[in-house]
Amino acid sequence: MSVDATRSIRRAGSGRRLILASLVSLLTVAPARAAEPPREAPAGPRPMETSCVSCHSQMDDVLLEPTKHMQDDIHFLKGLSCHDCHGGNPAAGGDGDPEAAHDRKMGWTGKPSRTQIPAFCAKCHADAAFMKRFNPHTRIDQYSEYRTSVHGKKNAEGDERTAVCVDCHGVHGIRAVSDPRSSVYPTKVAETCSACHADEKRMGHYFLPTTQHEEYRKSVHAHALYDEGDTSAPTCNDCHGSHGAVPPGVGNVANVCGSCHTREATMFRETEAKLKLDLAACIQCMVCHSNHAVLPPDDRMVGVGDASTCTGCHAEEDKGYKAAAQMADGIGALVKRLGEANERLDRAERAGVEVGPDRFDLQKGRDKLVEARVLVHSFDLEKFLAAAKEGLETADAGVAAGDRAEAELRTRRLGLWFSLLVIVAVLIGLALKVRQIERTSGT
Amino acid sequence: MTSPAPGIGARLFAWLEERTGLSVLSDLARKKRVPRHRHTIWYYLGGMTLFLFGIQVGTGILLLLYYRPSASEAFESVQFIMTRVPFGWLIRSIHSWSANLLVLTAFVHMFSVFFLKAYRKPRELTWLSGALLLFLMLGFGFSGYLLPWNELAFFATQVGTQVAGAVPVVGPFTLRLLRGGDLVTGGTLTRFYGFHVAVLPALATLLVGAHLILVQKHGMSVPPGVGKGGDSHDESVPSMPFLPNFLLRDLIGWVAALGILAALAALFPWELGTKADPFAPAPAGIRPEWYFAWMFQTLKLLPSHILGLEGEMLGVLGFGAGGLLLLLVPFLDGGRGGTSGRDRLIVACGWAVVAFMAAMTILVYLPAGK
Repeated sequence: MSVDATRSIRRAGSGRRLILASLVSLLTVAPARAAEPPREAPAGPRPMETSCVSCHSQMDDVLLEPTKHMQDDIHFLKGLSCHDCHGGNPAAGGDGDPEAAHDRKMGWTGKPSRTQIPAFCAKCHADAAFMKRFNPHTRIDQYSEYRTSVHGKKNAEGDERTAVCVDCHGVHGIRAVSDPRSSVYPTKVAETCSACHADEKRMGHYFLPTTQHEEYRKSVHAHALYDEGDTSAPTCNDCHGSHGAVPPGVGNVANVCGSCHTREATMFRETEAKLKLDLAACIQCMVCHSNHAVLPPDDRMVGVGDASTCTGCHAEEDKGYKAAAQMADGIGALVKRLGEANERLDRAERAGVEVGPDRFDLQKGRDKLVEARVLVHSFDLEKFLAAAKEGLETADAGVAAGDRAEAELRTRRLGLWFSLLVIVAVLIGLALKVRQIERTSGT
Repeated sequence: MTSPAPGIGARLFAWLEERTGLSVLSDLARKKRVPRHRHTIWYYLGGMTLFLFGIQVGTGILLLLYYRPSASEAFESVQFIMTRVPFGWLIRSIHSWSANLLVLTAFVHMFSVFFLKAYRKPRELTWLSGALLLFLMLGFGFSGYLLPWNELAFFATQVGTQVAGAVPVVGPFTLRLLRGGDLVTGGTLTRFYGFHVAVLPALATLLVGAHLILVQKHGMSVPPGVGKGGDSHDESVPSMPFLPNFLLRDLIGWVAALGILAALAALFPWELGTKADPFAPAPAGIRPEWYFAWMFQTLKLLPSHILGLEGEMLGVLGFGAGGLLLLLVPFLDGGRGGTSGRDRLIVACGWAVVAFMAAMTILVYLPAGK
């Protein structure tokens, strides 16, 4: 490209014509494009040397920005280029004529407004025929889900402050969700959401709190995700949804939590049905566990002690209070007995007695402890006590096995001392015999 | 007056003598004498090694009654032996401890024979059979280590067989021969079991027999510097009859060894560990049995490439050459009473090898980072 041509493009880029063309294009971007017939997927990787790249890479500021991140962009890596989203003629314009490149007859749309962005992305992402050429399993419901979300509804009403695709995924340089560097990779989601939701000024418009991220970072979920590197641990979108982001609401908290904690949720629902209660009115799981700041569960949460969550609702004279106390006692007794069994088996193992099978048997007691803890969510004292009893029986068997192992150890030691006594006696006898023989023979 | 009728023992001996000529052996034993000098103590090591070998055979046969050589049952069967079979824990622990003591006494016996020059003419074949027996004992150790099919043994075998695979030309074949495939699997376990209870015992029986016959034929060697040196019939050196004096002294050592084994087995029973999981990552701190540790450490310290050749391959070749030199010691020796330059060089080489093996072994057991 000649120097004159470059100057001409720069002039055009900063000139009125380009601004005008951009504004016109913004008005012409229509969601209706999503309904257009399936478009052809690119035949293969597009060269970077389109006139879009060659011109914009020599521009300044916002007009230069898109070209900086292209090589990291999933679209570019899949063979798409600027004109696949923005339209225009990538073959023209290289001679210093931006109008030819920004030809609206060639579908040039320019930069969409924030209210246009969802439909802009949906042109392809809601097009099954187009998307499945890249990945037959890919989803195409993001746009329709988005329109059900608070973000999407507000956006449809013309509110430009609510989140659109690019706020979470980025504009240019968009990475695949599975890429750890992506802003929507599990370990980045909370930070991405909090960019808006922790911003008091922005959330102030909607009277929303901004402490969710801070609370979440203290939670057992965040601990699993960040400290233990478990990317299956829940982050914002696992409870609130990704594109259809809607707060769970008090009526379906148990459904949301129950999508992972299935046993607890099933028991909770069974209680609801059995007692013919309508628990939708209460905040269910959150009553005891909180929401964003879900702390690691602790046995002290059950019962009537200082750290109990039961006493928040149950008073001393009611049935639930007594049941809570019995449950706490049951868990406490089982934990203690399992500890005793473990301690005995550890001691025997350290002394060299093989206790593998006994440890295997004791595992059933641990399973019963877990079951009892889960059964707390059924609020069914009878079921809980049955599980705790089974656990205690197994723990008792473990303690007995530990005692047997220790008795075995004592027998071994006793046997050893006895054997050594015999061995020493034989050694003395042999030594005396040798002495006698050698004295007699004079050797 | 008639002489009293012979006892049942004498009559049984007479019966056997008539049919087998057993008195040849008893006469040999009765005539055999053992020199007494300041190095006599080293003579007991051969008997001690033989005694421990006997313990291995006895306890090994008992373990065979319950052991099952498959990846799905081996660990559980050893666990069963240790927890449910009466005295199973004792038998298994004695087998494991005795194996280690056996290798130790075999090494000490070999080095004592080396430094006392007991391999010299006419005992070259005695040395040769003894050195081969030492290799066999290492083979027993290597193959037996895998049999409980626990995590440590599994990964140590993976490393050990990998080393064998580094030998040029025959390495890949050896690797597949040992593993029964490309990987350590249940097939390897079955194969090692076969080596451990059939192939190696058959070879060991032949070699132990040959070794004992040769020892019996040539008698004990008198080390240089004692009497005329090298001659067991040297009358200038005091001696004692093999039967019963030396045998009783041997017996004292064996009974003491039995006591030590009993104490080790009762106070420090051999651990079983956790069952091998071929799909699990190798745990940290994998290392072979102590008697292979020096080789393991040497290979670890060697650079990846030496003069354009793979360091590991050169290391393995070095061990092979070392083993060959060990076998050839009697033929490299000057045989001139320990005074020639070559004699001194051989002794110096022996001490260098001992120091090297000790240093490398210590390095393996030093805490990481030291």
